[in-house]
Amino acid sequence: MANIESEAVDFEPEEDDLMDEDAGAVDAADVSPRAGHPRLKSAIAGANGESANRKTKGRGFQEERDSDRQRRLSSRDFDSLGSDGGLGPQRSIEGWIILVTGVHEEAQEDDISNAFGEFGEIKSLHLNLDRRTGFVKGYALIEYEKSEEAQSAITAMNGADILTRNVNVDWAFSNGPSVGPHRRRNLRSGRSQRSRSPRRRY
Amino acid sequence: MAAAEEENEFYLRYYVGHKGKFGHEFLEFEFRPDGKLRYANNSNYKNDTMIRKEVFLTPAVLKECKRIVSESEIMKEDDKKWPEPDRVGRQELEIVMGNEHISFATSKIGSLVDVQGSEDPEGLRIFYYLVQDLKCLVFSLISLHFKIKPI
Repeated sequence: MANIESEAVDFEPEEDDLMDEDAGAVDAADVSPRAGHPRLKSAIAGANGESANRKTKGRGFQEERDSDRQRRLSSRDFDSLGSDGGLGPQRSIEGWIILVTGVHEEAQEDDISNAFGEFGEIKSLHLNLDRRTGFVKGYALIEYEKSEEAQSAITAMNGADILTRNVNVDWAFSNGPSVGPHRRRNLRSGRSQRSRSPRRRY
Repeated sequence: MAAAEEENEFYLRYYVGHKGKFGHEFLEFEFRPDGKLRYANNSNYKNDTMIRKEVFLTPAVLKECKRIVSESEIMKEDDKKWPEPDRVGRQELEIVMGNEHISFATSKIGSLVDVQGSEDPEGLRIFYYLVQDLKCLVFSLISLHFKIKPI
C-alpha cells in the first residue's frame, strides 16, 4: 500500500492554469497574474462565459473576497493515486469500486450483496441512507479486489432489476477528466489494457 | 446512456469550518465539471495535518450527485433568512446547475432544534439534510478510494 501511495502524481497543472486564466479575465479588476487565485465562484461562472445569463442567489455573491477561500481548494498539492494517464476506470487503493444507482429505497444490504456477490467477493459495500427518511438514498458503492470481477458485475447487472427496480451499474472512479464524447470510447479500450498488464517487479 | 445530453455544467462546493484555538479548522469538498472530486480536511487538533485528496469521478457518479441535489430542490431556496455565519463557524454551499448558481452561507447547525428555531425552518431543513447526504456520499467515495477515514 505504501508502494501505491508513493506513486501519487500531480494532476495536470495545465488544466488549472486554464481555469485561473479564464476566471482572471472575467474578474476584470484583476489584471495582474500574481493577484492570487480568483475565488472559485468566479472560476466557474467565467469558465464558459455564461455568467451573464445565470441566475445567482446567496450571500456568497455579496461578501468581500475571501483570500482563504481562494487558497484552500486551488492549491496544487492534493494527493491522488497513481494513474497511467489513460481514460479508463481507476483502481482504488485496495481494489475496484463500482456504483449502483436506482436502488430501491427499501433495499437491504443482503439484497445488494446477493445480487453482486456472484461476480466476486465483495470487499466493501456502502449502502447509504437518506438522512431525512432513513431509507436507502438510492445508490450503492461496491468494492471488488479484481478489475475483472467489477467488470463482470457491470456487464451483467447494468440494466438488471433488483427488487423490481431497474438499476444502473458503472465504474465509480476514472483516470482522467470526463469531457466530450471521446471519453466513452477511451473508457473501454483503456481499461482492458490496464487490467491485463502485471506490475513490474525487480 | 445519453451522456452527451446530460453534460449540463455542474459544480458543487461545500465548506464548513471555524477559526479557533487550533487555528483554521475546516472540511471542504468540491465536484468539478470535469469530474474531479477534491476533498480537504484541516484539523490542527492533536497536531493533525491537512488531508488533501483528489480523484476523478465517472459521469455516473456525477449524475448521481446531481440527482441528489435536484431532488432536494435546494436551488429554490434562499439563504436570506438563515442564521448568519458567526464566530462558532460557517458553512458555505455553492452549486452551479443549469443556468442557476447559488452560493449560500450560514452558521453551523448543531441539530434540528436549531433548524426549527430559525426564521426559515423549511429551507434550512432542506440545506441541513442535503449537506448530510452529500457528506455521506463524499466520505464513502474518499474512504473507499483512499482507505482513509474522513472527518
